Amino acid sequence: MTSVPQSSPRTAGPAGAGSAPAGPRRRRALSPAWTALAPIAVIIVLFFVIPIGGMVATSLLVPGSEPGTKTFGLDNFTALGSGSRSMALGNSLLLSFTAATVAAIFGGLCAWAISTVKSKIVDSITAVISSVLANDGGVPLAFSFIVAVGNTGYFTALITAVDSTFTLYSVKGLILMYQYFLIPTMILLTLPSFVSLRQQWREANTSLGGTSLTFWRRVGLPVITPALLGAWLLMFGSAFGTHASAAVLIGTGGFPLIPLEIAGQLAGSAATGGEGVAMALGVTTGAIAVIVLIAYNALMKRSAKWLNT
Amino acid sequence: MAEHLNSSPRMKRFLAWLPLAALAIFILTPLLSSLIYSFFRADGSFTTSGLTGLADSGKIVAPLMRSLVVSVLAAVILVVTLVPAVVAVHLWAPRLRSVLSILCTLPLVVPAIAIVAGLSAVLRSLAAQGRGSLGMQLNTMLQSQDLPLVLVGTYVILCLPFTFRSIDAGLSTLPLRTLFESSSILGAGLGTTLRRVIIPNIRGPVMFSVFFTFALSIAEYTVAATLSINTLPVFLNTLSSTNFRGSITLSVLLNLTTWLLLAAATVSASRFGHRPSAVSEHDEPEADEPAVSQAAGAFRKDDETP
Repeated sequence: MTSVPQSSPRTAGPAGAGSAPAGPRRRRALSPAWTALAPIAVIIVLFFVIPIGGMVATSLLVPGSEPGTKTFGLDNFTALGSGSRSMALGNSLLLSFTAATVAAIFGGLCAWAISTVKSKIVDSITAVISSVLANDGGVPLAFSFIVAVGNTGYFTALITAVDSTFTLYSVKGLILMYQYFLIPTMILLTLPSFVSLRQQWREANTSLGGTSLTFWRRVGLPVITPALLGAWLLMFGSAFGTHASAAVLIGTGGFPLIPLEIAGQLAGSAATGGEGVAMALGVTTGAIAVIVLIAYNALMKRSAKWLNT
Repeated sequence: MAEHLNSSPRMKRFLAWLPLAALAIFILTPLLSSLIYSFFRADGSFTTSGLTGLADSGKIVAPLMRSLVVSVLAAVILVVTLVPAVVAVHLWAPRLRSVLSILCTLPLVVPAIAIVAGLSAVLRSLAAQGRGSLGMQLNTMLQSQDLPLVLVGTYVILCLPFTFRSIDAGLSTLPLRTLFESSSILGAGLGTTLRRVIIPNIRGPVMFSVFFTFALSIAEYTVAATLSINTLPVFLNTLSSTNFRGSITLSVLLNLTTWLLLAAATVSASRFGHRPSAVSEHDEPEADEPAVSQAAGAFRKDDETP
């Protein structure tokens, strides 16, 4: 049986990559890898690396001394400290912090509940629904909340009976709406940790005379805390960057938030030249995101040490 | 002490159901509210004005088509480019694996709004190069309302984190080197091996990636709205000012579609995840090499029903 001539990627590989045929064997084996990696590399470069690079570059460009020229400078970043931008930054930080904390508490409670109930139905429902809901932060979400608890919503009366100053189109409303995808995210992230709290630890705690409270205070919480903190961080980052549902709910006027500011500056930048500021905002958001990621990785390593997850 | 031990598990289990019940109520309420609103007026009468309002104007067709095309393209391109890359990284360049992993996880933390801000800057600078120049042409092509390639590329990036993880995990369970070596002994090249051996074996992760990318792309709002491309969610938002009930109806439909797709994705990931497919073994018939027959035998295991 004749062997099929090697397909073009293989033959193009060694020639295309220019590696010496007589070189070490590892070099030649790498060539098909480059062909296989090329498409995704192109996409990543075109649609991720270049935009991020362009964003950083544009944020550093400020109008030069003569009109129409641009030089490098940090003016755009200092402009962040004033006006609607600083308000937006403060609002975003407050909103993300509160939303993440609320979700951490309720989500953690639910994750504990799911791990305690140990029902197969609940487990399978959780597996499917939590990943569905965690990604559900868009336009339909905002609409359904408007219908449910907006100004003329079905359940608005219920909520205002408890808290008369509540309105959906404010910080409180946003926090409430964000829970819809933050709590499932929290459950998704922390359920494995709750599940891997070993039964032996609880039994050891009981045999040494401790109660449930002691268990949680001395054993459970300290072990789970890195995972909980990591999840909180991720939720903070996620809430900080949420744009779609907030945009539908608030538009660009009422309540300044960083993602809305960015969108607003981008939309109007042709006229007002606020493009650089929008980029600076974007860079800030990106930097916060990267810090969150690094901190999360460190916390996960810590958590894995105890829980082998 | 014995009492304490006996009653507390039951108490605990009862207590544990409470937050779950509260959560279920919280999740279901907005959904039911929009469902009810789409079909019932304030006085309780049934109405289909939402649905008819959608169909009447016919304005829904263009955004719908646009969203569908973009989503299908994004899903296909993601699978076609990501699978070879992950395979390559597993087989030939393990050192690049952490690089690829980081690159594919970054879009998870860098929010879409930051990505679109950068995109906007790049597109603007392309356009600033003047009419008729290459930059301008590139700019218009990427953003054309008929086929917004810029959306396709961006959605691929946005979906990378979850899909990479899934495909990566799926490939880790395969004896890749064995498969590749046996396949090339039998004369297959890179493309054939990928198509007929590898992909059938990671059917679960591939299906997950397809469903997930499709669902995310069809419901994505931030990038499309900022670039002023009229996709379905963007249309949904503008519709709300003219025909609120219609927009709620559409949002319920969109939501249900997305949920079904994501649920299908999750289910297919778990159901098809681990078992190697029996299909591929047709391409690897009798062979002398013990490694090949071992690999083929692993596939055949599923076929043999007692």
